[in-house]
Amino acid sequence: MKFREIVDSPCGIRYLFDELELQSGFARKVLLDREMMVDAGQIDQAYASLRGYYELVLTDRRRVEDMRFRLQDLRDITATLAALADGAALDEIEFFEIKHLAMLAESLAMGTDMDKVIDILDPDGLKIGTFYLYDSYSGELRRLRAEVELDPEDAQLQEELANEEDRLKKLLSDKLRPYAVTLQQTLRALAELDISLAMAVQMHVEDLVIPASGDSTQVCGMFHPGVRAALKASGREFQRVDFSFERGVPATVIGANMGGKTVALKTLCMLQYLYQFGFALPVSSAVMTPFDDIRFCIGDEQDEKTGLSSFAAEMQRIDRAIAAAETGKRVLLLVDEPARTTNPVEGTALVSALLERLSDKAGQALVMTTHYTVEHAGQCWRVQGLLPGTKGRKMDYRLVRTASHEVPHEALNIARELGIDARWIELADTIMKKLYE
Amino acid sequence: MPFVGEILKHRSVSIVGLSKNAGKTECLNYILKRLPLDYFNVAVTSIGIDGETTDQVTGTAKPEITVREGMFFATSEKHFRQKRPLSELYAVSDEDTALGRVVTAKALQEGKVLLSGPSGSSALKRWMHSLDGFGIDLILIDGALSRLSTASPAVSEAMVLSTGAAFSANIRDLVNKTAYVVELIGLPLYVGPEPKLCVSSFSPLDAGMLKGQRVMEVEGALTDRLLTAAKNAMVEEPLELVVGDFTKVFCSQDLYRAFLRRDGRISVRMKSQLLAVCVNPKAPNGIVLDSDALCRELSAKIGLPVYDIVKNEYEVS
Repeated sequence: MKFREIVDSPCGIRYLFDELELQSGFARKVLLDREMMVDAGQIDQAYASLRGYYELVLTDRRRVEDMRFRLQDLRDITATLAALADGAALDEIEFFEIKHLAMLAESLAMGTDMDKVIDILDPDGLKIGTFYLYDSYSGELRRLRAEVELDPEDAQLQEELANEEDRLKKLLSDKLRPYAVTLQQTLRALAELDISLAMAVQMHVEDLVIPASGDSTQVCGMFHPGVRAALKASGREFQRVDFSFERGVPATVIGANMGGKTVALKTLCMLQYLYQFGFALPVSSAVMTPFDDIRFCIGDEQDEKTGLSSFAAEMQRIDRAIAAAETGKRVLLLVDEPARTTNPVEGTALVSALLERLSDKAGQALVMTTHYTVEHAGQCWRVQGLLPGTKGRKMDYRLVRTASHEVPHEALNIARELGIDARWIELADTIMKKLYE
Repeated sequence: MPFVGEILKHRSVSIVGLSKNAGKTECLNYILKRLPLDYFNVAVTSIGIDGETTDQVTGTAKPEITVREGMFFATSEKHFRQKRPLSELYAVSDEDTALGRVVTAKALQEGKVLLSGPSGSSALKRWMHSLDGFGIDLILIDGALSRLSTASPAVSEAMVLSTGAAFSANIRDLVNKTAYVVELIGLPLYVGPEPKLCVSSFSPLDAGMLKGQRVMEVEGALTDRLLTAAKNAMVEEPLELVVGDFTKVFCSQDLYRAFLRRDGRISVRMKSQLLAVCVNPKAPNGIVLDSDALCRELSAKIGLPVYDIVKNEYEVS
């Protein structure tokens, strides 16, 4: 799974990607093509490197900014380096690109043998980043150029000059060829440096944290950066939330409408992706565990293209997720209010059955939000809900473990708070009271 | 050596032709030939495919751009590989165009180049910005066929206009059409309180909206549709329209005049400086206008000096 495949996931990871201040288009491309890591050791290694850059951001911001400024000059010369490795004779533009890369790498103390590459492309030892076929490459070149300048119309001379230039281009290409691999590695390393520095700066700016790896997921003080930014713009604050889950134990999240259940689920999904792509997390602290496959099933996706009703589309999405879980891989399933669009009787049955269907898979984890009351052996979390004494004005978005799987009845209070037609809500209240008497 | 001295006073100058074959390339070569290069760094680029050996549309001979030793130029990878004097590479852009990336190089000897630099105003601005650090004193921009946008003061400080028989084969018509463009270039800067009303070319506009408003900001293009609406909605009070700069005015001359007759006024946020007008009395279809008469009549109409640089071959100092 590549980053580009999930960057537009409805979990909203795009926000952090857009806010990431990469210096070069090439780094952006490399990041989008990055494969999701599934090995905790590999993730921890990536984080160790990020931590180093983060410390540099804290201790020597000036140096970081200097490095980032230089990285603006990073260009994608993959094609040129591939041509070099393939034995092609390069031209001036390509030599320029290679010299440019080598000098950039050297100024950042990256890559090996960059000095040797520069020596080949800087025969006069000028130490400047420009390039042309220097006269000093051969006495013949110098002589022919002087003669052509005296007699620019002489076709014979022109041809001789062109031949000599071609010979030199081939010679230079042959001299550079042994460095093709190290140049490719250096190009890649510079893109990774750009990404790491951007991530480290973002960590500082967005208040992100490097998590630890473990066997289960325990998140303290998570927030959704995109939603937080939107709230901040209207002068409000995002309430941080704690949550935990583990493989083999399904978890449901119940609670009031507008209680932040979907945002919590989106945040969990984003955290998982961020963790497995090596980004720092929007949390106070966290222990994370990797999965082979992450499935986020959210109901309000648009399915117009396929022409399916929202129910059919949702069922198919969950069906694919079940199939993924059947493969025995470690799968994280995040499902937002499944069967919400059908009648509550069948809906409740579907949700209960889904929990049972997936309960015996040891390798996978399931987190589901629902408005239905379903009994199950897993964990149940509840949105704290309306704060008492605020007349329904304030919501406490915290998630708390609860023994009761009974969904709270807060919809009417919230509807009143929203100023919905009073007569309608009163009638509903009367019906509710009759039902529960 | 007319108007070259004026050019040296600016950081960036665009040369804009009012139509294809209006003599813009001759005009650019004329300037390039006469610029002093001692202790003075010049960079030249073209916004579109230009400097082709033969004009791709009409098939007539077109001069290439001659760069002198020490001049910087920007062109596409493709054209750089095709033809150039010995040149030192300074930069290769990250942006891909139809002809490849944009290459910035310094000519190490005099020679002909095919110019096809960054196309579009924003790419052009990015390129101009990327020259910081090369010590460039003057940037010359060859604005492509009827693309006045490069002449926007948001891009270049000053401009040279080239017009000719290819634009119109009738002296009176040519003078009239050119004078209209010159008049737009000369639109005054807006001075006054910030306009309370702001419209775009898609906004609905009626007399009710304009009630009590004497000034209206126009966002983006001022089109015939918008100007007609403004003219018709203007009931008692005279109205002043404020546009970004003259390149945003896309109105027919008749309508523009009608608006002015109703006491309407158009002003700009940013003003261009027109340095000179050059004429090319020859059209590719063989028509040749009387150069002296053309220069005289146009100059009288616009109140600015007009040059036929081909005929007069003003001396190179």
